Amino acid sequence: MLDVDDTIAAIATAPGASGLAVLRLSGPRALAVADAVLEGAPLADAPGHTLHHGWAAAVAEATDRSTAPLPRQRLDEVVAAVFRAPRSYTGEDVVELSCHGGRLSAQRVLAALLAAGARQARPGEFTLRAFLHGRVDLVQAEAVADLIHAETAAAHALALSQLGGELSRRLAALSEALRDSLAEVEARVDFAEDVGGVEVPGHVLESMAAAESALGELLAGAAYARAVREGVRVVLVGRPNAGKSSLFNALLGERRAIVTSDPGTTRDLVSEAIEVAGVRVTLVDTAGLREGGGAAEREGVLRAREALERSAVVLWVVDAAAPLAEEDRQIASSLRGRHVLVALNKRDLPSRVEAADVAALLGGGRAAIVPTSARLGAGVAELLAALAHLLADGSGLGAGVANQRHAEALERARAALGRARAAAAEGWGGEIAALELRDGLRALGEVTGETVEEELLERIFSRFCVGK
Amino acid sequence: MTTFDVVVVGAGHAGCEAAAACARLRLRTAFVTADAAGTARMSCNPAIGGVAKGHMVREVDALGGVMGFVTDRAGIQFRMLNRGRGPAVWSPRVQCDKARYSLEMAGRLAGLPGLERLTGEVTELRLERGRLAALRLADGRELSCGAAILAPGTFLDGLIHIGSRRLEGGRIGEHAARALGRCLEAIGLELGRLKTGTPPRLHRDSIDWSRLEAQPGDDPPEPISHWSEGPILEQVSCWLTRTNERTHDVIRRNLAHSPLYSGQIRGRGPRHCPSIEDKVVRFPERASHAIFLEPEGIGVPEIYVNGLSSSLPEEVQLELVRSVRGLEQAEMLRPGYAVEYDFVLPHQLRHTLEAKRVPGLFLAGQVCGTSGYEEAAAQGIVAGINAAHRLLGRDPFVLGRDQAYVGVLVDDLVTREHVEPYRMFTSAAEHRLLLRADNADERLAEIGRRVGLLTDEQVERVRAKYAAIAAEERRLGRLWVSLARAAATETHVNGAGSPVTAQIASVEPAPRGDRCGEADDGDGERRGQANDADGGSGDRCSEADDGDGGRGHRCGEDDGHGGSGDRARAEPTHWASAPAAQEARALATIPLPGDARFGAGGSSCALDLLARPGSSYGALAALGVRPLLPRAWGEALEVRVRYRGYIERQRRAALQAQALEGQSLPVALWAEGLNGLSCEAREKLRRRQPETVGQAARIAGVSPSDIAILLVHARRFAAGAS
Repeated sequence: MLDVDDTIAAIATAPGASGLAVLRLSGPRALAVADAVLEGAPLADAPGHTLHHGWAAAVAEATDRSTAPLPRQRLDEVVAAVFRAPRSYTGEDVVELSCHGGRLSAQRVLAALLAAGARQARPGEFTLRAFLHGRVDLVQAEAVADLIHAETAAAHALALSQLGGELSRRLAALSEALRDSLAEVEARVDFAEDVGGVEVPGHVLESMAAAESALGELLAGAAYARAVREGVRVVLVGRPNAGKSSLFNALLGERRAIVTSDPGTTRDLVSEAIEVAGVRVTLVDTAGLREGGGAAEREGVLRAREALERSAVVLWVVDAAAPLAEEDRQIASSLRGRHVLVALNKRDLPSRVEAADVAALLGGGRAAIVPTSARLGAGVAELLAALAHLLADGSGLGAGVANQRHAEALERARAALGRARAAAAEGWGGEIAALELRDGLRALGEVTGETVEEELLERIFSRFCVGK
Repeated sequence: MTTFDVVVVGAGHAGCEAAAACARLRLRTAFVTADAAGTARMSCNPAIGGVAKGHMVREVDALGGVMGFVTDRAGIQFRMLNRGRGPAVWSPRVQCDKARYSLEMAGRLAGLPGLERLTGEVTELRLERGRLAALRLADGRELSCGAAILAPGTFLDGLIHIGSRRLEGGRIGEHAARALGRCLEAIGLELGRLKTGTPPRLHRDSIDWSRLEAQPGDDPPEPISHWSEGPILEQVSCWLTRTNERTHDVIRRNLAHSPLYSGQIRGRGPRHCPSIEDKVVRFPERASHAIFLEPEGIGVPEIYVNGLSSSLPEEVQLELVRSVRGLEQAEMLRPGYAVEYDFVLPHQLRHTLEAKRVPGLFLAGQVCGTSGYEEAAAQGIVAGINAAHRLLGRDPFVLGRDQAYVGVLVDDLVTREHVEPYRMFTSAAEHRLLLRADNADERLAEIGRRVGLLTDEQVERVRAKYAAIAAEERRLGRLWVSLARAAATETHVNGAGSPVTAQIASVEPAPRGDRCGEADDGDGERRGQANDADGGSGDRCSEADDGDGGRGHRCGEDDGHGGSGDRARAEPTHWASAPAAQEARALATIPLPGDARFGAGGSSCALDLLARPGSSYGALAALGVRPLLPRAWGEALEVRVRYRGYIERQRRAALQAQALEGQSLPVALWAEGLNGLSCEAREKLRRRQPETVGQAARIAGVSPSDIAILLVHARRFAAGAS
């Protein structure tokens, strides 16, 4: 259901690297929501058309009462521009937050605004509000309709691409399970005499618990969202002298290093962080691990394995100037089932290895294979682009939820299921579990596009012999 | 030619409510039926109410309708269904003496001035300049009118099926209305075809009652009407038996003779009311289905066989009946049958139940595609009030989906697609927790008064009731109960300050006037005071107890009703003490999350206790809190206390929905290009022509972004038109 009276938020600047990113908040609670996130700049009484400096900080998550509140984590230094209704873009109270460029920081600040009570804006919604508040000329109405349509179509296409395959199947299965649960509960509420028994039976509770944890997994594996939050580790592997260190340095050269060391790794592993597609990428070089021998070597192999385990993506550096060796076969077999990028390095020398050979070793997986020359710096940009594609495309990091709007909706669905189960456990009736289940299905429907009520009765009648 | 303000066609449950409403709003009303005798006939089961249906009866009653009152006077068994479920879905059901119901209704209508009953069959609708102007009867009489309400039930081209036998008629033994259907088609209304059915009736004396399980009613019976004194007839039991494999064999062997399965019936039947054939075919794994034997009255032989609806040939019906335990010797007074009938696709109606294309023509009841007496009555009162409002120049009478099931019913009818007879379910109401049987009067009595169907005195009674409930809530908010003394009596001090019972100080007013539970600090202090209180508590208690005057105490939603606090009307029903004491002990064992006070000897605010699932107002008595409210009111208090958080949530959701409901869409908008909308949405919107943005949003296939675009077009259109 469309709501035109709540407070909405979205990143207003185009995705991609830029100096600044702007987030826009609009609605009656825009100032309050901003204040919940900002440190240092109370905006509640700020006059319109003023700028304020402050820090955006994560809203402390609701914690168990027994534990002390967590300290707030500062996300970014921001400048807040306050516009008061009706003198704003939308005609409502508006706050625009300028933060540092790149998707990372803007995404984090947006997440904080949503946690503070804003709703993620739908495509075209700011423009719609501007129009509804008379801030856009009526002559432009057709254009506004077209714009909303276009943005919706684009968002839809994007959503479809993100929903492709595995994720789509998993959401469909979840939706199916929740609809069944709702039918089970509603049948017992509306046809108590025919169906009988407890209103939220054990198998429904189990099904809801399973759906809740499946959503939790999806969200935990919400690749982009998690990548944005935590960053991604990319480990470089390959035979000695394949050019790992050179490539490592070439990648760093292409992107400014934003962190100088990774405290989680041992001194034997060299790591640097760069930003790729708005995601903090920690490159881990296993260079030198196989050098030396004896105990140190075994220790090194162990560490390399650990590094491999902990990395979301593996960058396999292949020496293309030498034939593939037994060691390459071993590496390839250890990479089965991983997200792999292959750098076919030393392409400045006569080539002895082709992409097809490597693909064959990897068992015909979907790894991107990029010819590079670390020495000349050739192919490095293409390698980064391939990495960016892997990060941005949900399928690249498993069936995760890539889109923030989707992640937020699924989070609401998960929370509703938790409340449904808690209510049933506390002895509330089926109509309360049903209320929460409907909330959950509605949130899920924002991703899948299905509505809740349509075939509820169908389900009840096909499942239960009801009526006299 | 005779002139009336309104002509109501049909004397079923819709027609009776419509006629009563029009006449009581002082319109000259004609009431036309083919059969001079039949009024409010219960063609199928002998009961009014049931889950969600009972809610609607309470609502019609709270608006000033007649069904509830008549039901109480004809009721021979009263039950509150779903008592084991949450209170939002508790629903009254009343088994009635059918003949008595008809008589009572006829009597009530006969007493209304301005209502004239005519016998005849409508053969023509006469329009003038596109508006309804008159009805012509088969005998040539013409009734000129400002508005007509058609409520012909299943009589539009009614066709009865018993096995392969086919009889024209809307009810067995009565003629079909063929001309009226042609009239409706002639004025351009699109018709569809539906099917419904009824089970056989058995002779009381042919049943072996000793082999059946009795199903008694509630004791004491609770009236369904807000205004009646309760039942006046002798109360009876219903009886339960079951089908068995032999029954199912009979059905399976004879399926070829069922018009449902031979293809003879083409109308779609209600899945919520399946025939026994359907049940056996669709659920082959079920070894047995329940059958309820319900007397159709006091001193009459007919027994209604609820659960055995069938259109099999008569001799097969007898065979399957006799396969059931207790019915081995049963004699069938009349076989079950299926009936097919025409209905008007209801998206052609406005929310006033007026046909969009014919001003002045209203439709109500089964002709709109619903099933059930209660659904019919709900539409009857809506159509009646709206016909009157049209003639009186008043605004349309439309109830919101968050105000009443009646509103949900009408909105579902005119905005959604329908494939089977529509029956109300609680799951159809997205604001279900707000629409309870216990608060129908609170929701609707003021509206009934404004319409003119309730008296000031009736509305005063409702206000006094809710003031008393609010006062009791405030009192419980200030009473401190010691859980260690579950059987203790209450220290209650009346308004004058003299102690009524003062031996055991187990009940204390909270030391402060605020609502308990709001302040978590100072628990220790409170507990100490609660345990050593005697003198002085009287003053606090008296202060706490006369809070009706409104000393800044929060009264919540009840503030609107003023604070007359006339508690004298509330005559407490005394609670049975032994079960209440058991309940109280159970209550003390329910942990309240995060509440450390519930150790041995702990104490709690009475209102907090009431808020826990599993507690009850009655159980408080055993903790020493004397209930001041009658049982039904106490239950209403329980609901509002316990469900407060959820009710608030639904109220917020309802407010959001209202914002969209408030934005109307002009009819002319549908002729516009509407660019930007998806093809599916554009086609559906043009077909349904929703009157508000909220209605548009409920149409399947219309997405939120379509609604956004629709808002843009509506805005532009409005600006262009002005």
